[in-house]
Amino acid sequence: AMPMLMTGCIEYKLNQGPEDTISAVKFSPSTAQFLLVSSWDCTVRLYDVAANSMRMKYKHSDPVLDCAFYDPTHSWSGGLDAQLKTHDLNTDQDTIVGTHDAPIRCVEYCPEVNVMVTGSWDRSVRLWDPRTPCNAGTFTQPEKVYTLSVARDRLIVGTAGRRVLVWDLRNMGYVLQRRESSLKYQTRCIRAFPNKQGFALSSIEGRVAVEYLDPSPEVQKKKYAFKCHRLKENGIEHVYPVNAISFHGTHNTFATGGSDGFVNIWDPLNKKRLCQFHRYPTSIASLAFSNDGSLLAIASSYMQEQGDISHPEDAVFIRQVTDAETKPK
Amino acid sequence: MGRKKKKQMKPWCWYCNRDFDDEKILIQHQKAKHFKCHICHKKLYTGPGLAIHCMQVHKETIDGVPNAIPGRIDIELEIYGMEGIPEKDMQERRRTLEQKSQESQKKKQNEDASDEEDDDDEPGPSFQHPPAAQAPASYNPAMGQPAPVMPPAGYQGMPPMMPGVPPMMHGMPPGHMHGMPPGMMQMGGMMPHMMQGMPGMPPGNQFNHSFSRMPPHMAPRPGMPLMGQPPAAGSGMPSRPAVPPAQPAVTKPLFPSAAQAQQSASVSAPSHSAPSTEPPKATFPAYTQPPTSSSSASSSNLSSGGGAKPPVPVTSKPATLTTTSATSKLIHPDEDVSLEERKAQLPRYQRLLTRVGQPHVVGQPHVVGQPHVVGQPVAAAGGMMPPQQGMPPQQPGMRHPMHGQYGAPPQGMPGYLPGGMPPYGQAPPMVPPYQAGPPMGMRPPVMSPAGRY
Repeated sequence: AMPMLMTGCIEYKLNQGPEDTISAVKFSPSTAQFLLVSSWDCTVRLYDVAANSMRMKYKHSDPVLDCAFYDPTHSWSGGLDAQLKTHDLNTDQDTIVGTHDAPIRCVEYCPEVNVMVTGSWDRSVRLWDPRTPCNAGTFTQPEKVYTLSVARDRLIVGTAGRRVLVWDLRNMGYVLQRRESSLKYQTRCIRAFPNKQGFALSSIEGRVAVEYLDPSPEVQKKKYAFKCHRLKENGIEHVYPVNAISFHGTHNTFATGGSDGFVNIWDPLNKKRLCQFHRYPTSIASLAFSNDGSLLAIASSYMQEQGDISHPEDAVFIRQVTDAETKPK
Repeated sequence: MGRKKKKQMKPWCWYCNRDFDDEKILIQHQKAKHFKCHICHKKLYTGPGLAIHCMQVHKETIDGVPNAIPGRIDIELEIYGMEGIPEKDMQERRRTLEQKSQESQKKKQNEDASDEEDDDDEPGPSFQHPPAAQAPASYNPAMGQPAPVMPPAGYQGMPPMMPGVPPMMHGMPPGHMHGMPPGMMQMGGMMPHMMQGMPGMPPGNQFNHSFSRMPPHMAPRPGMPLMGQPPAAGSGMPSRPAVPPAQPAVTKPLFPSAAQAQQSASVSAPSHSAPSTEPPKATFPAYTQPPTSSSSASSSNLSSGGGAKPPVPVTSKPATLTTTSATSKLIHPDEDVSLEERKAQLPRYQRLLTRVGQPHVVGQPHVVGQPHVVGQPVAAAGGMMPPQQGMPPQQPGMRHPMHGQYGAPPQGMPGYLPGGMPPYGQAPPMVPPYQAGPPMGMRPPVMSPAGRY
């Protein structure tokens, strides 16, 4: 760890970063000051990004694959140990809420329905009442859950086998929509638009699709996909997984991060790339805009895409972003 | 003037008859004037390119080339600068030029050009030579498929970032301004009507010339007249060739898989007028949907509420999938397994996994077949957790590393089993999953058969 705060820069690296691959970065729902970071080093860390210091960390018995804020003082997290934990960030107290039958891959919160959602390699999505806290339902998915996202009361689940399922969190009795991914390769990340009308879906093959929830043909006509995160090296185009998507809360633009180490910001309405940042030391594993859209947390972390080889250290960068970079022109 | 005839013809624009000094400028002119998308102002390379762009990106049909003089609006003609101009028009042009020069020299009066002048607009039926068979490589830019053109260039030259080094660029480097990357186009592949005229061209048929003009973005197929040399700029091409021999395509196709599809298609649809009911050809093979669902991809693969869905096997992978080819390489170890699943199998994490006491072997979710039905008492018993196999040892990692004083088990927590730190294996019974009633804002989840997969 390099305890050096680069003041005056628009970007700096967080001190006391995780010691293994970073699985997720999530900003607090109420402030751009606090950031949760989960990691394969079995920890979930809370950072004060303004002060560039780690406020606390708690541990799972195994690598943590995702984390989420329930409210500004409660973190939820799950990982290879299949345990879902909630942690009171004020009192530093752990609660094991429940378990899946296999590692937990995704943890999200749906404020509209006030429910925590987990997705697992046990091929299920489970809902959790965050107040009790307790399990509030288990819902079988066709395949292992790789990614999920919440848009108002809609839950969009991306599984292995390129399945995409849309659920109604208020009525989980049946699946609203079963789709096949528009992309031909494994689904990597799904994130809903802030306007809740659709979602962006990325694949391991340098591509992102923009899709809409409304099944009417007029709306469906608008969906599209584009290539990105590809690098030509020695005449060969290297096609990288697009691991991370994060929407800007107010501009309806989104950032993508790939294993090429680049972060791009896109304007999905005008189908333009708004900007590309410099290349980060290694793969972009996770991205998160702060709630006010002023900061972008960038997890640069190798994910064994090219085997278990030596690689740059895992790091979280905090970058101040401007309207010029994130607002549609 | 024999000397003038032999001289290279000055560049001119087939679409508007404008003269140019330089073919480069002519091409610029054509891109800006005739091949520009009226919706997004993107400059394409050819008429068909523009048509495909408008179809795929904007779902609009382009009837003719913008700003073209009457008779020269044919959007299907593949003309790029001086390349691809119908031979008839080249000869026409030559004649006109010659005539002009003769007039200016006051040597001869026009005698033979007048009758030809009239049908200047329409490419005559004699035009049999599609510009299609030109050297494929030279046509790449003209394919309405900008994919290879831009983004790589945009990425190149990015300075590598050293760890911990402050950002080198703020905002957007100018070299990266070219909008959405080339690949950004509507899904769904080629619209069927783009394919009209494509299915099997019967050998030796003098049918409607619009069918005989093979858009060059299609790979040559059997039945298509093959031409060894590029028919560029009217270089000695016979204007009324003999009936083109039907022979199997030997030309290297641009997209081999597409060509294969076309071969089979042409067998089944030997008539030029056969409606193109077969799925659109994979002009962009890596892009279009698999044939089973291509035509219905945009609408019917979102069936709602478990409605009719084309039966696509879960593990179906398009035949065109190739992880690595001569020109591209997918930086991902396994197309069917996620990076996290692979990483979890590394020995250093496996050790952790086995310690948990439950063999969570990645890729083998043990109780998967069992739907974890919820919200009903029956399911409550078995749906939550399968019986744990073996007790896990105590896990030091569960202690709070930093502020141990708060690490005491949360006693008064509803739903929590009293009695200290629960080891992993005992967790399930501690959570009474279904008795607490529905959480706020939720209806009690009811599992209907339709909800299962």
